[in-house]
Amino acid sequence: MIKKQWVHDVKAIPFLLPFFIAYMIFTIFPIFKGLEMSLYDWTLVRKLEFVGLENYIKMFTDRHFWRTLWNTTLFVILTTPTMVLLALGLALLSNLNTKLKTFFRGSFFIPSILSVSVISFLMIFMLQPYNGLVNNVIQMFGIEAEPKWMADQGLAWVTIVVVTLWWTVGFNMILFLAALQDIPESLYEASEIDGASRWDMFRYITLPQLIPIGRVILLLQILASYKVFAQILLITGGGPGGATRPLIQYIYEVGFNQNNLGYAATMSYALFFILLILSIIQLKSQRSGEN
Amino acid sequence: MSDSQFGNETAVPIRKSKVLQRNRDPKLGLKVTLGFIVALIFISPIIWMLFVSIKPNGFSTTEPLEWFLPPYTFYNYVDIMFGSLIFRWLFNSLIVAVITTALTLLITSLAAFAISQMKFRFKNFIFIFFLLGLMIPGEATIIPLYEVAKSLGLIDTYAGLILPMIASPLGVIILKSFFDNVPKEVVESAIIDGCSYFKLFYKIVLPLAKPALSAIGIFTFIGSWNNFLWPYLSIMSETLYTLPVGLPVFNATYSQAYVQPMTANAIASIPVIIAFLIFEKQIVKGISFTGIKG
Repeated sequence: MIKKQWVHDVKAIPFLLPFFIAYMIFTIFPIFKGLEMSLYDWTLVRKLEFVGLENYIKMFTDRHFWRTLWNTTLFVILTTPTMVLLALGLALLSNLNTKLKTFFRGSFFIPSILSVSVISFLMIFMLQPYNGLVNNVIQMFGIEAEPKWMADQGLAWVTIVVVTLWWTVGFNMILFLAALQDIPESLYEASEIDGASRWDMFRYITLPQLIPIGRVILLLQILASYKVFAQILLITGGGPGGATRPLIQYIYEVGFNQNNLGYAATMSYALFFILLILSIIQLKSQRSGEN
Repeated sequence: MSDSQFGNETAVPIRKSKVLQRNRDPKLGLKVTLGFIVALIFISPIIWMLFVSIKPNGFSTTEPLEWFLPPYTFYNYVDIMFGSLIFRWLFNSLIVAVITTALTLLITSLAAFAISQMKFRFKNFIFIFFLLGLMIPGEATIIPLYEVAKSLGLIDTYAGLILPMIASPLGVIILKSFFDNVPKEVVESAIIDGCSYFKLFYKIVLPLAKPALSAIGIFTFIGSWNNFLWPYLSIMSETLYTLPVGLPVFNATYSQAYVQPMTANAIASIPVIIAFLIFEKQIVKGISFTGIKG
């Protein structure tokens, strides 16, 4: 039964090749293509001239780049802790000993299967001043106010954060819920015998058992939030006055509206390195969590 | 599996005075009420959308409850399906999502099978090379991807929407770990019986990996159905739009009318909502599986 090694090698090729080709062309090659583009003056139509590091120098002095990078970072700061806490709270509600728990879980999760375009326009129409549902409900409770949810700088951020939480919390809630259900019942029984209160159990059993998954969620959330783009573009358009414009929107505008793919590729590289570092941290901590 | 870890609990002496009553939470009623209110808040936008979509054309009100009261009509659905491009976009989204899912499952399972079951040189190197893809964020390489797709003639085509999305490293990893669990004896006896690798792959190994395949399939489908950034960049013709790209264009033409935009949103959402209700269990299981592994 001893065959030559090359026979095994050849047999594996048809299995590996389809994935390998797609992976090389659409995942690996664009990284190198991006490097080339960032060194050129490059328009939507064709590449023009080699400019060396000019695009990089421009990036470091471009206040729009720093402003939009800060907006994206602010989004990460605002959404990450709130997301983790909300996901935990919703998971605890979905884990209650009631017949309604399937309904709870489904309701918390269902927004996250909807398209970003759907949830964005749903919110635009619900949050309109004067005849939007949200303001009318507020007024139904006797509060005389007409908040401009998307036109005021502070409120625009509130809107973006709340919509994002509502839309994406379900995924993280499910991760917490699975971890909750993995906590051995015997731990609670033992602590009950020792006379622990329900709060003690939550504080000394449930929370510590949730720390590993909590760390995974935290890092996945930071990583995902740095890619924010579509819901901001669709709900506020990056406004008012660029106050909520994220980095990816600026990259898009430079590339496709200002016809400067070379500079857009340069800023993509900055984002690439931020995300790369974050995902290395994520993979590392996940591995140490498993051991 | 964690039982053995905490097996020594049986050694704790049970005190007679204490009665186990963990299932009786005095505040359970309060917590369930809170959960119910939060759940209603979560789904109320979706329910509102569905009710607006069956209101008569031109309806608007400042009385919140009136949105939910009759008269109802399904005319808007007929009107929008036949009187706009929405039906075309729905078809595009569906065809792109189905083909993307099928191709993803095909190429990731083939590669995972080779890495899991075959003996070729540089196997570990190739596997790690595929793993690297997990760290490459698609959003950050989308500008050069646009150039690559352009030079391959993929801009503004169905193939351009599908092909860049199918090489999923996460799919390979999940399937490989599933294939690794196929009993060695099964594989060895099949090989001794003269079974080719292809036959072994689709007759024996694939059927055993059904749970992983369905989880990856569902997530790929939902991901493709909702994908925004790439179709937004790569499609120029209105007739090739997918729903996520088309809807904003459609909705932007209505700033004050509610009924048509909400009907369009409902048309885009009902298929995934139904899919969710059917596959809820697999989706929930799949998240805890892929989320932790990924």
